[in-house]
Amino acid sequence: MSVEFLLIIAFGGAFLTYLLGKISHRLRDVFAVLISCALVAIIAYLYGKDLEKTFYLGFFGLPLQLRLHMLSWFFAITVSSVGALSIIFSLSYIRQRERTDFYYLMMLLVNASMLGIVLSGDLVSFYIFWEIMSWSAFLLISYNRGPALAAGMKYIIMSVVGSIGILIGILSLYTTCGTLNMTEITVHLAAASSRYIIFIIITFSIGFGIKSAMVPLHTWLPDAHSQAPSPFSAVLSGILIKMGTYGFLLIMYVIVGIRLFLGLGSGLFSFNYILCFLGAVTAVIPTFIALLQNDAKRLLAWHSIGQIGYIIMGITLGTSLSIAGGVFHLFNHAMFKALLFLTVGAVEYRTRGVRDLNSLGGLIKRMPVTFMAALVGALGIIGVPLTNGFVSKWLIYKSLILEQHPFFAFAAFIGTWGTLLSFYKFLHNMFLGQLPEKYKDVEKAPFSMQFSMIIFSIIIVITGILPGIPLKVINGIGTTFGFGSLNVTIWGIISETGTINTVNIFAAIIGACVIVWLIFRAGPKATKIAQDNNYAAGAAIPSDRYNYTVDFYNPLYRMIAPYLRDFVDEFYTRLANWTRGLGNGVRRIYTGDVGYYVIYIILFLALLIIVQVKWSIW
Amino acid sequence: MRIIEIVISPIIAFVIGMFLLGLSRKIMARIHWRYGPPLIQPVIDIVKLFNQTSMSHGNIFNLGVILSLAGSMVVVLFLPIGKLHPLSGSGGLLVILYIMLFGPLGIALSGGEAANPNTSIGISRKLILTLGYELPLILILLAVMTYYRTISIVEIVGAQQEARWSMLSFPLVVPGIAYLLILPAILGERPFELVKAPQEISSGTMVEYGGKYLALATIEHAFSLFVGTALFVNLFLGGSSNPGFFIIKVIVVFIVEVLINAVFPRFRVDQAIKYLWRWPTLVALAGLILVFIIER
Repeated sequence: MSVEFLLIIAFGGAFLTYLLGKISHRLRDVFAVLISCALVAIIAYLYGKDLEKTFYLGFFGLPLQLRLHMLSWFFAITVSSVGALSIIFSLSYIRQRERTDFYYLMMLLVNASMLGIVLSGDLVSFYIFWEIMSWSAFLLISYNRGPALAAGMKYIIMSVVGSIGILIGILSLYTTCGTLNMTEITVHLAAASSRYIIFIIITFSIGFGIKSAMVPLHTWLPDAHSQAPSPFSAVLSGILIKMGTYGFLLIMYVIVGIRLFLGLGSGLFSFNYILCFLGAVTAVIPTFIALLQNDAKRLLAWHSIGQIGYIIMGITLGTSLSIAGGVFHLFNHAMFKALLFLTVGAVEYRTRGVRDLNSLGGLIKRMPVTFMAALVGALGIIGVPLTNGFVSKWLIYKSLILEQHPFFAFAAFIGTWGTLLSFYKFLHNMFLGQLPEKYKDVEKAPFSMQFSMIIFSIIIVITGILPGIPLKVINGIGTTFGFGSLNVTIWGIISETGTINTVNIFAAIIGACVIVWLIFRAGPKATKIAQDNNYAAGAAIPSDRYNYTVDFYNPLYRMIAPYLRDFVDEFYTRLANWTRGLGNGVRRIYTGDVGYYVIYIILFLALLIIVQVKWSIW
Repeated sequence: MRIIEIVISPIIAFVIGMFLLGLSRKIMARIHWRYGPPLIQPVIDIVKLFNQTSMSHGNIFNLGVILSLAGSMVVVLFLPIGKLHPLSGSGGLLVILYIMLFGPLGIALSGGEAANPNTSIGISRKLILTLGYELPLILILLAVMTYYRTISIVEIVGAQQEARWSMLSFPLVVPGIAYLLILPAILGERPFELVKAPQEISSGTMVEYGGKYLALATIEHAFSLFVGTALFVNLFLGGSSNPGFFIIKVIVVFIVEVLINAVFPRFRVDQAIKYLWRWPTLVALAGLILVFIIER
């Protein structure tokens, strides 16, 4: 089976789904799920194969190529599985809404274009798929209308700026190298000057940085993630922003190559350390801004930026261990962040659109499965042992410490503590505490939602206890980049500077839990009582009024909030207003009166004549 | 052999932790000019509590308590006690840092389901306080790890036994002092017992616990007293080559800490953060910068 077949299924399936929706909604749903699951199966089948295929020759004489290798396989499987599970989740989420055909078309199109991006073997097809992805994502972000339109507009403006950056890079590479095939460019670039390589990386980094929401290019993300429909937020945060990091990996380690990239600059001012510094900033500040948020999805969105910081730190530090950590964290983030967005989606669906953390509470009594899923996701993003987030963060910390970057490591640790605080708030304010009167009749999430959430939870726990499964693939990616091979076993990584053994940790924790549980069981059995029973000592109290959720970390907020403004966003807003003011100013000269235009022409000619008489340029 | 170590380490930690609990009450009482309860009082309390009936609020309420005690027990397996370190080869200091999370997180989840506003306030305070002391603590740990160029606590202890204690060598004495400044916050002892604060929020996180729940939570506290002090002994006082000396060091550090802090009144939570993020953080940061300059 060849690569272009995969893309034909992906794109063809998307359009066919739209047409089927005109006939029957049920048929369309089944077909959409089948297509997305078939993609997962085909990609899984293609594991370990190295394929290359030229599928079109005539694009200005440039051959368009598709290529499958370890890196693209890894991304493809992540994209397709998150895509498939979000489609399954959408089945009940989107049923009551309008324009559902359009929704499915766009969901499948985004997934197909992302597969296209990771499978492209040359920069032209890369750019084409990149643009399809950007624009279909725009249509989905503004699906809800209202404030979503503004969020979508912000996204697409920044996205276009990024695309221009990438386009400049591509054109420049074409003029220097005369080809846009990735492998051929690498050969040509080996002789290029380091200044030129920095230029190329910066142009591409603008595009990839905007897509992956790296500080200071992150401002589109909080709005877009919180306004998009929840299953698409999962795709957006889980994999779409990972296309930016895929781009980083591509330009740094595939096109430019490890030796050239790590050799730019020297000492602490090496180019990769500067990127690593940006990663550290990205890991800390957005995480603490997230702590202040009250909208569940906005909180998750800010955390997406924060976690991207870890990934950037991992992949730019440039040791085999840190690359493994960064790429593994990327996979893990796709899993737990998609899961968390889906849990918020389920709550939103059942409470009819409420996701304000101050007004929810106690939902564990009504939606236990959703709570467990949210708990697993939260533990994953905090990086608690037994989840996959722990292993990847461990790898990143360890490489930062051993490479003697304690300050970057400090940023990474502090980000984790901020994550802990804000995810406890997330769990507490939605699921724990008292159940408000108006949510007494909330039902549990529908089957299709629970199914996706359970699968994600299982993936998180399995890859957390047996991290060797994904790490084996990731190690393969590292070696194709030219990094030293790691000694990966099924339960972790063996090395002289510190081994990690998740199975030992798992066994110890489970063993301890069993022992404590046995002690617990040995005691007299506890009587189960209502939640307000103990607090009121049996007296009748008005329910609904004893819930501590608003301003959960009030003393902390008062201390840190003044320092946590999004200065970058304010700067961009000011820039946008200034541009608009300039535009308005310029518009005034267009009076619509022909006489004025004649005067403009005469004045301009006079200016030209004066210039010529005075300096005689022409 | 390893099996025996796995069994013995938590038992040592439990016994010493309970002893420290009794000791702190006794010392505190003597400073207050009272006679104080007998040293064995915490054990008596636990036995008593364990035979009382209790109330539960649901599965997470139970699970959280179990998880928090189990987490604290597991930390001990990764922490060298003299020569006993059955699992320390599975991830080093970073794993210890992370498994120490289970204690507060378990209590927080459990208390969350109880839906008592006092519990929620207690949890909020506990997590804020944790963030407060983690900031300097991470700087301290990073200084030590950067200095010895390893993430393995066993190697850190080994290096100190070959040369000398970190507390007595130049750049590391600075983070050592910072650790002593935040030790009461790590242990949740005076003046940082704002998480419990019986007069304000009726024991905060503990308010919904009774009977065996309270017993388990108390044992968890005992373990965390041991872990917080033992971490200092391992990192700065050279650990020890045999468990006996190690325990003596732990007890001495604890007594010093209690003697100094017993006279302070309780901080408010914002005062606690202001304190923790000012002097201890500055000292720890200075330590890390010194280590960074010297090592480069």
